[in-house]
Amino acid sequence: MENTSYIALSRATALERKMQVVANNVANMNTTGFKSESPLFIEYVEKPQKDERYSMALDLGTFRDTSAGPITMTGNPLDVALEGDGYFSVDTLNGPRYTRAGNFALNDNRELVNSAGLPVLDSNGSTITFPPNASDIRISPQGDVSTELGPLGRIGIVRFEKEQALTQLGNGLYQTNEKPVAAEDTAVRQGYLEGSNVKAILEMTNMIEVNRQYQSVQRLLQGEHERLRNAYQKLSRLS
Amino acid sequence: MRSLMIGGTGMLAQQTNVEVISNNIANMTTSGYKMQRAEFQDLLYQNIRRPGAQSSDAGTIVPTGIQLGLGVKTASVYRIHTQGTIVITGNNLDLAVNGDGYFQIEMPDGTTNYTRAGSFQLNADGQIVTADGYTLLPGLTVPANTLDITIDGSGQVQAKIDGQIDPQVVGQIQLARFPNNAGLEGLGGNLYRETPASGAAVVGNPAIDGYGTIQQGSLEQANVNVVSEITNLITAQRAYEMNSRVIRTSDEMLSALSQLR
Repeated sequence: MENTSYIALSRATALERKMQVVANNVANMNTTGFKSESPLFIEYVEKPQKDERYSMALDLGTFRDTSAGPITMTGNPLDVALEGDGYFSVDTLNGPRYTRAGNFALNDNRELVNSAGLPVLDSNGSTITFPPNASDIRISPQGDVSTELGPLGRIGIVRFEKEQALTQLGNGLYQTNEKPVAAEDTAVRQGYLEGSNVKAILEMTNMIEVNRQYQSVQRLLQGEHERLRNAYQKLSRLS
Repeated sequence: MRSLMIGGTGMLAQQTNVEVISNNIANMTTSGYKMQRAEFQDLLYQNIRRPGAQSSDAGTIVPTGIQLGLGVKTASVYRIHTQGTIVITGNNLDLAVNGDGYFQIEMPDGTTNYTRAGSFQLNADGQIVTADGYTLLPGLTVPANTLDITIDGSGQVQAKIDGQIDPQVVGQIQLARFPNNAGLEGLGGNLYRETPASGAAVVGNPAIDGYGTIQQGSLEQANVNVVSEITNLITAQRAYEMNSRVIRTSDEMLSALSQLR
């Protein structure tokens, strides 16, 4: 008898989760290198009795849209954008982490670091240090870093077979146990940044949809409540 | 309802963004001003279902998992120290640095600060000072009966003194460079201070070893690109509005919830 409410509950919970994902996408509309996400739901069917069949909504996972974000020119020589798939690798105490955000800087040891101060790794897994009297920083489309005093190394760009299996850590970082492969075809653009690939219109329509569906779940529960009340009233009058 | 809070973080971030952009626009014509940019990062993720977790005894794994983000934060507001446009003013104590390097300014408390704004003047003692009267380092005195001052690209200051045929060398302007310009702390008044992030100042003569060239009779304008600031402002404002929509929608969902019975 109570199943209608439970089915509606499963949908309402799923919708709240979807709203959270949408809200996170909208909040990160201007975050460098951010990839938008969308939740995946599946129908979860249960057959408690022979002729009964319920299907509930179950969230299976969040799916990351790995398409490229808009590339905008900043003119800052330490801003780099990746054209094509792949990630930059940065060094942390817990091992390498991967990121698409190419807003780099130099630290006081003149090492190339990302915006959180984590050193950016080159293709051999070591940090890139600039000589103190160099002023002109150039990064070629292949990722080769050089100054007027000579080459310094190549920024490591890696890709993964199972890109969806990367875990997000916040701060634009991703983690995985998979062994990275060098991304050969990905170009590096100096003086550009990759924006967030969140599509505002899509998120707004998603949000309206979530809101309306939530209201219809509420009306379904309301209708169910009325139905039960009527049933109890009629049944008690009969006796 | 987490989406309410997430929308809130989004609005806060966009507010910071608008503040940074408006400061850039306000300083559009400040000489030697370097534009700032707000940089955002996503907050931590909640793992509801970890990607890569096993979903059966046969070793099948969850391909994507459920990771719910918790919003956005301002990671940094950093300065972009690219070269600004150099305009000719004709005033012989207006100096522009073409390339890397900062003028060293002695503050009244004896510490050294740095600036790119080279609109200098002479004070009563013949010292070269900023618009606020702080002296340019290394200190030099221009003789009283000087007719004209010439400062060459490498920072040598020569004075043409009344009654003398050859100009007299009165001093040498030196510039300071930093390992990480973006780490300098802005103090207002076009001044910057050294921090651990910027690294220690390396002082040297202009026009050699990567130091910029000094250009007399010119000033460096702000490196603010107005068109891109205005488009950034529009984007930030729209993003702010959309985050407020998130809050409104979450509110409507909560109100639907409270009407349940």
